[in-house]
Amino acid sequence: MSRTTRREFIKRSGFTMLTVGVGLSAFPRYLQMAASSSLTRAAALSQNDRILVVIQLAGGNDGLNTVIPISGTLNGIYRDRRPTLAVPEASILPIGRDAAGHQLGFHPHLSRLRTLFNQGRVAVIQSVGYDNPSRSHFRSMDIWHTANPNQIETFGWLGDTLDLTSPGSHNPLLAVAVTGDRLPLSLAARRTAVPVVASIEDYRLRVTNRLYPADEPIRIQTLLALNREAAPERTLYEKIRLTALDAYTSSQLLQERADQNYQNDPTVVYPSNNPLAGAMKQAAQIIASDLGTKILYVMLDGFDTHQGQLDRAVNHPLLLRYLDEAVWAFYQDMRRLGRDHQVLMMTWSEFGRKLPENGNHGTDHGASAPQFVIGTRVNGFNQGRSTGIFGEHPSLTDLYSEDDTKHAIDFRSLYATILERWLEVSAREILGGRFEIMNFIA
Amino acid sequence: MPLNESDKVAHLLRRAGFAARPEEIERGVARGLHALADEMVHFERVPDNLAPPPSDQYASFDFMTLLTQWWLQAMITTTRPLQEKMVLFWHGLFATSAQGVGDVRQMYLQNELFRGNFEPDNGQVSRPSPGNPFPVGNFRQMLLYLSKDPAMGYWLDNRLNRRLNDEVGSNENYARELLELFSLGVEDVVAKIPNYTEQDVRQASRALTGWSVRPADPTRPGDYPRMFQFDAAQHDLGPYTVLGVTFRGSGEQLFDIIVRHRNPGQTQSACGRFLGYRLFTFFGYDDPEPEIINALADVFDGRNGEQRYSVRNMLKAIFTPGNLVSEAFYSERAFRAHVKSPTEVLVSAFRLLRPSGLGEGSDASLQLALRRMGQALFFPPDVSGWKEGLNWINTTFMLARYNFAHDLMLNRASETSIDVAGLVRQQNLQTPEQVVDYFGRLLLQTPLSPFMRTTLIQYLRSNTYGPFDPTHQRTIDNKIRGLIYLIMATPEFQLS
Repeated sequence: MSRTTRREFIKRSGFTMLTVGVGLSAFPRYLQMAASSSLTRAAALSQNDRILVVIQLAGGNDGLNTVIPISGTLNGIYRDRRPTLAVPEASILPIGRDAAGHQLGFHPHLSRLRTLFNQGRVAVIQSVGYDNPSRSHFRSMDIWHTANPNQIETFGWLGDTLDLTSPGSHNPLLAVAVTGDRLPLSLAARRTAVPVVASIEDYRLRVTNRLYPADEPIRIQTLLALNREAAPERTLYEKIRLTALDAYTSSQLLQERADQNYQNDPTVVYPSNNPLAGAMKQAAQIIASDLGTKILYVMLDGFDTHQGQLDRAVNHPLLLRYLDEAVWAFYQDMRRLGRDHQVLMMTWSEFGRKLPENGNHGTDHGASAPQFVIGTRVNGFNQGRSTGIFGEHPSLTDLYSEDDTKHAIDFRSLYATILERWLEVSAREILGGRFEIMNFIA
Repeated sequence: MPLNESDKVAHLLRRAGFAARPEEIERGVARGLHALADEMVHFERVPDNLAPPPSDQYASFDFMTLLTQWWLQAMITTTRPLQEKMVLFWHGLFATSAQGVGDVRQMYLQNELFRGNFEPDNGQVSRPSPGNPFPVGNFRQMLLYLSKDPAMGYWLDNRLNRRLNDEVGSNENYARELLELFSLGVEDVVAKIPNYTEQDVRQASRALTGWSVRPADPTRPGDYPRMFQFDAAQHDLGPYTVLGVTFRGSGEQLFDIIVRHRNPGQTQSACGRFLGYRLFTFFGYDDPEPEIINALADVFDGRNGEQRYSVRNMLKAIFTPGNLVSEAFYSERAFRAHVKSPTEVLVSAFRLLRPSGLGEGSDASLQLALRRMGQALFFPPDVSGWKEGLNWINTTFMLARYNFAHDLMLNRASETSIDVAGLVRQQNLQTPEQVVDYFGRLLLQTPLSPFMRTTLIQYLRSNTYGPFDPTHQRTIDNKIRGLIYLIMATPEFQLS
């Protein structure tokens, strides 16, 4: 398959047509590159061809109703403290025992995830959190985004990873946030610009005046020329200008490649009424486009279930179904494209919920919760060799005074393991400290 | 180089309002900056020209489209720019989404609440509503009104918050955000120490038990939950201890405790600092110096004998020349260094270009443009509102900003039309240079850089459809509309 070199791309998109008298100096990022540099050089700079897909569950996922104790003392306390929210025992999908011997199961809406679990593709990481947990959505999200519980930083852990692994990369698609609106703080980087895409279809600049089509080339050239006029002493201006140029370049690339490289397949269904599945389909198209993307980021919102956790229009079971369908479709898609060995998914949420339900059939902000790591290369359930469950279900008697489960695994251990074992970069350099490397990647 | 008078006037008009038109700058310079600031801050001296609101005969998502258009029209045509700017400020600070309310018409009530026109105690809209402290009155009263607002009662579940035990109410959602997002912040903005504990959140939730929303009256067709209701049977009488103060009986005292709260060793109140920080970052620039925050907090605290908790006094400190805060506001650091929010992009374009046919029928194109640029009014992403500044800038949002300019100028699908030929005639513009200079100044209120000017003149001269002729429809529709699009599709137009 032929790869578009940047040089060809620049030629075709009119970057070199200096019809409006712009000197070369006005093309700082695009033309001062070695002519031989190709789009995939970024991928070559990092040590491997692996891709990380981060799935943020925003609002604080109720972990106690996601991975559920099936019998014994834990189960008794769980039912006692959640008279209306406890999941009926008969409907829980068993996944086996954790290291402490607790029998556990998935929420009934995670049936596809359970199938993947049984195939050894899912690692369940129990009781993930950090010391002195914040119950503020925004503070706790920032802590997870920046991998720093002590102070809020400007840059995120994934942004730092991009800066470290691909210094000087000119690939505008090294990482993509398929979040539709805001750039997640996780991906804020010192040197790497990360595009945000809502839908590839709509990700384009409109310049046409239908009655006067011949004016389009000069109009685009003028627009680019104006957006290439630098003013280095004006930080905001420069940031806006460079983002506009990145938007143009990345949209041209995506429009061209996504269409060529990705065809729908009847065996892979992304349900149309599922927002997470929609985003993960875009992620699959970007991976198929082969543009050297290393990190993709998607998000599912709505987990702040303070009331009517079972009966609101968008309730907790429905959100779990969205997660289940989206992960399943994406995983099957990766297999179909022959890319599943390259791709790892991980979930995170800013906190779990409190053990007791509140007075409105909902749950208030808690602390620790379980997370999932999913992919072909996961060290998952494997008869007799691995349970696929890492850590133990949290105690339901030894709680923080606000009725929250304590954490046993620092979230930075999860990050460190993915950095070291998956992306093969120095976790210490990115996280600024040593965290235990776990064994969930084969 | 310090700013000249004309720059300061344009700066004030852009920031305290939405845009600076040429004749407004001229008038401001003639009257003087001081008089102009005074006029803007005392906006109620000018009659309000609000159009009648959309009919609330039926509620649906069509209603939200109509409501969005109505508010945009208010911002575009208002005689009281700072009033509408403050409604936008409160909407961002007390961020409520139509997706989480009991009835979308409650969003209209909340919008009128922020304008000072709604009484949650009786569910009535009157203009103005006596006693309502919004939009620039007493902040302690605002917190009280906010806590009774039906939209908020639904959005953060406090309507369900009832007596549970001595630790916590049945729902702590609102009490938490009241402290965290609406009044104090997790940490003192200046001292960087925690403002409150988990215990304070839980106790505050007890104080607000029984603060509910009255259900719709089934005997009145089309009625919806539109007023506050205190449910004594569900109210926990206390005592409760919040921020070190023990009180009982009624939740109202909670707001006194919040606005007075000072952290150990701090001269200024935590709430004054929080609000000072929020106001200055909204109108001035990001990361203001602690002295500025403290000076605004002093005004809030009434340290020099002024009326306490007055938002108007804080605005005066920002906009009226001659004090530490306004010195920063009129400094070079602040000048053209504010990223326009999507609402500011849209409203400034419309105030400058004066299109007709604005928001006719159920044209949802403006609502859609705002959503694509990242600010769907009435639908903030979450209760913390929109992150401003550079958070408005990413690749998707940039495409949307430039595409908004395209749709406005080059795409005839929208119902909004701008009379470009009329402007050209009225200004007697004949040469490409005159056209570039006029529209450059109109849209950016600053001389174009030599490069930009030359580039745009070349664009007008490049005759894809015959030579430049401003009396010819072809030149108007292709070239001059194209030129306006190109000026709007620059980094400079995104800044205010």
